[in-house]
Amino acid sequence: MKKTTVIATGVAVIAALTGCAANEVATDQSTPPPASASHTATRLTGTIDAGGSSAQTAAHEAWRAGFQASQPEVTVNYDPTGSGTGRQNFTDGGYVLAGTDEPLAIDHVAGPFAACAPGSALVEIPAYVSAIAIGFNLDGVASLTLDATLIARIFSGEITRWNDPAIVAANPQVGLPDLGITAIHRSDKSGTTHNFTDYLAQAAGSAWPYPVAQTWPSQLSGEAAEKTQGVRQAIIATPGAIGYLDASQAQGMGSVVVGAGEKAVAHSAQAAAAAVGASPLEQGRSTTDVVVALNRTLTDGQSYPIVLVSYLVACGTYADPDVGQLVKSYLGHVVSEAGQQEAAKHAGSSPITADPTLSGLVAKAVAGIH
Amino acid sequence: MNPTYTLSAGRRRANRLATVAVTGAVFLALIPLVWLLVTVVSRGFARLDAQFFTWSMRGVVGEGGGAIHAIVGTVLITAATTAICVPIGVGTAIYLVEYGRGWLPRVIRFVVVVLTGLPSIVAGLFVYAVIMAICGPGTRSGLAGAAALSLLMIPVVITSSEEILALVPNRLREAAIGLGATKHRIITTVIWPHALSGIVAAVMLGVCRIIGETAPLLLVAGFADSMNTDLTSGRMSTLPVYIYSQWQNKGANLAAYDNRAWTAALVLIGLVLIFAVASRLIVRLTSSRPQR
Repeated sequence: MKKTTVIATGVAVIAALTGCAANEVATDQSTPPPASASHTATRLTGTIDAGGSSAQTAAHEAWRAGFQASQPEVTVNYDPTGSGTGRQNFTDGGYVLAGTDEPLAIDHVAGPFAACAPGSALVEIPAYVSAIAIGFNLDGVASLTLDATLIARIFSGEITRWNDPAIVAANPQVGLPDLGITAIHRSDKSGTTHNFTDYLAQAAGSAWPYPVAQTWPSQLSGEAAEKTQGVRQAIIATPGAIGYLDASQAQGMGSVVVGAGEKAVAHSAQAAAAAVGASPLEQGRSTTDVVVALNRTLTDGQSYPIVLVSYLVACGTYADPDVGQLVKSYLGHVVSEAGQQEAAKHAGSSPITADPTLSGLVAKAVAGIH
Repeated sequence: MNPTYTLSAGRRRANRLATVAVTGAVFLALIPLVWLLVTVVSRGFARLDAQFFTWSMRGVVGEGGGAIHAIVGTVLITAATTAICVPIGVGTAIYLVEYGRGWLPRVIRFVVVVLTGLPSIVAGLFVYAVIMAICGPGTRSGLAGAAALSLLMIPVVITSSEEILALVPNRLREAAIGLGATKHRIITTVIWPHALSGIVAAVMLGVCRIIGETAPLLLVAGFADSMNTDLTSGRMSTLPVYIYSQWQNKGANLAAYDNRAWTAALVLIGLVLIFAVASRLIVRLTSSRPQR
C-alpha cells in the first residue's frame, strides 16, 4: 500500500512538471496576432533549426524573443557549435540557417546545399557586427592608448613588460607598473582570433609577420584560454594580463584605445559601425551575397578597426517553401531596425541599420527568400 | 583496565601521530566538499525563486527566466536512460553470476571494464554518428541523449549488480536446489528478493553517474530554450547543458547569466540529493518486505 502511494506521488509530480512552462502559454490558432506584428501578416507555425557562430548566441536570444512575441508558434533553435560546424551542417542540411564569422569562400557559394532548391541562390548577410575589445588587468588603469604596431609587438611577445619605453611613450599620462605582460589568446578556433589577426596583419605591417587564421599562431607563446569566457576569466584573474574578446564581455577590466594614424578610437557600437560603413563590399559576389571587405587601416578617428562581422547564411529558394517562409520571416526581424536594436541592447552589438546603404542591400536580399 | 598503560611511550606517540594524521585527512577531504557546497548555495541563492521553477527561457532576454524546461528534460532523459539500462544491466549481471560459464563471461567482464572507463564525449560522438547515419544530419532528440548516457550507465549497473548478486549466500541456492526448485524459480523467488535492495542501490549509483553529464547531451540532445516533453523528436535541454550554455554564451548582462548558471547548479545538486533520498526510501521499503 505504501509503495503505491509513493508511486502515485511520483506520477503526480512528473505530471505537474511536464505541464507547460508558465511563460509558454499554449496559444490557439484563432487568436489574432498582436498589433505590434508589423512585418508579418500571417501567423506561422514550425521550427527553425539554426546554428554556427557562438559569437551570435546572445544576439539570437534577443532576436528570438522579439520574433516569438509576434510569432508565438515558431520555435527557433540556435546551436552555438562554432562557425565551421555551422557551415558544414548548412551544407549537409542539418541547419536551414547558419551563422558564421567567416563568409563562405566564393567558390563554395554555388553549393549544393541540402536545404536549398536546386539552382537556388545563396543569401549571405552581415547580421551581427561587434567590436572586439582588447582588455587588460592593470590596477587603477582604465584605458591605454596602443597602436597596431605596439599591439602586435605585445601579442608576439616582443614587449614583455608594462613599463616598456614604447608603451610609456604612447601613454605619458599613465603611471605604468614594472610588471610582466601576460598576453592571453584563444586556445580554440575562433572568428575573434581571425578578425584580430586580420587587423594586425592589415594595420601592423612588418610587426606582424604571422598568418591570419582562426587559430592563434602556434609559434607564439603566451597564455591560451578557452572561448570568450576563458579569456575573460584569465584577464580578470591575472594582474598584468592582456587579451582580446567581444566588447560586450570586456566589463570589469581596462580596455585599449586603438591608435590609428594621428588619432585613437575607443571601442563602441558607433565606432564599429563606422568601420563597417567605410569598408567596401567584397567584389565578385552576387547581389544576395552581401560580404563586407573590412578595411582596418582607416585613420578617420571615428572607425574602430578591430571589428567582427558575423554572417547568417540562408537559401535564396528553399526546397520546402514552408521553411522558406519561416526563415524569411525570422531574418526579416533580424535585419529590421527593431531586431538590430534588440541585439545591440542585449548582446552589445552595433546595429547594421546605422548604414542605410548596407542595410538596404541586406533587406533586399532577405525579401527575395522564398 | 586501560590498554594505554600497557603501551610503551614510543608506541603511544606513534598511536597519537597516526590518529592525528587520519583525522587530518578526513578534514582535508571535507574542505573541498564543504567549500563547493557553500559556494554553490551562496551563489545559487540569488535566483532561487518561483520564476526559476516555473519559467523556461523562451522569450527571455537578459534578466529573469527559469530552467523548468531543463529540469523536466533532465528528469525525462534520466528516466529514459534508467529504463534502457535496468533490463540490460541487471539481466547481464544475472547471466554473469547465475549462468555464465567458459569464455563468454570473461569477455563480457573485460568489455564492461573497458566501457567503465569510456570518456563521455566518446559515447556522445558514437551515438551522434549513428543517429546522423540513420536519421539524417541535424537530428536531435532526448532519446538519442538517453542512448548516449546508457553507454555510460550500463557498465556501472552491471558491475554493481554483479557484486550484489554474488553476495547472495550459496547455501540459499543449495537449499533451493535441495527442495527441487528450477533455476528460474531460484532466481525469481530466492535470489531476486534477497538482492533487490542492493540492485536498487546499484541503479541509483548509475543514475548519479550520468545525471551530471554534459558532453554527450550537448552533441545529441542539443539545447533549446523552450519546453519539450517529447523524447522522440526535437532538442531537449538538460540542467548540465543549461549551466554550460548560460556560462559560455553570455549577453551583455553578465550577472543574469552567472546567476542562472549557479542556481541551475544548485538545483542539479538538489535533484541528486532527492534521488539519493528516494533510493534510500525505496531500499528501506523493499527490504522490509517479508520474503516470499
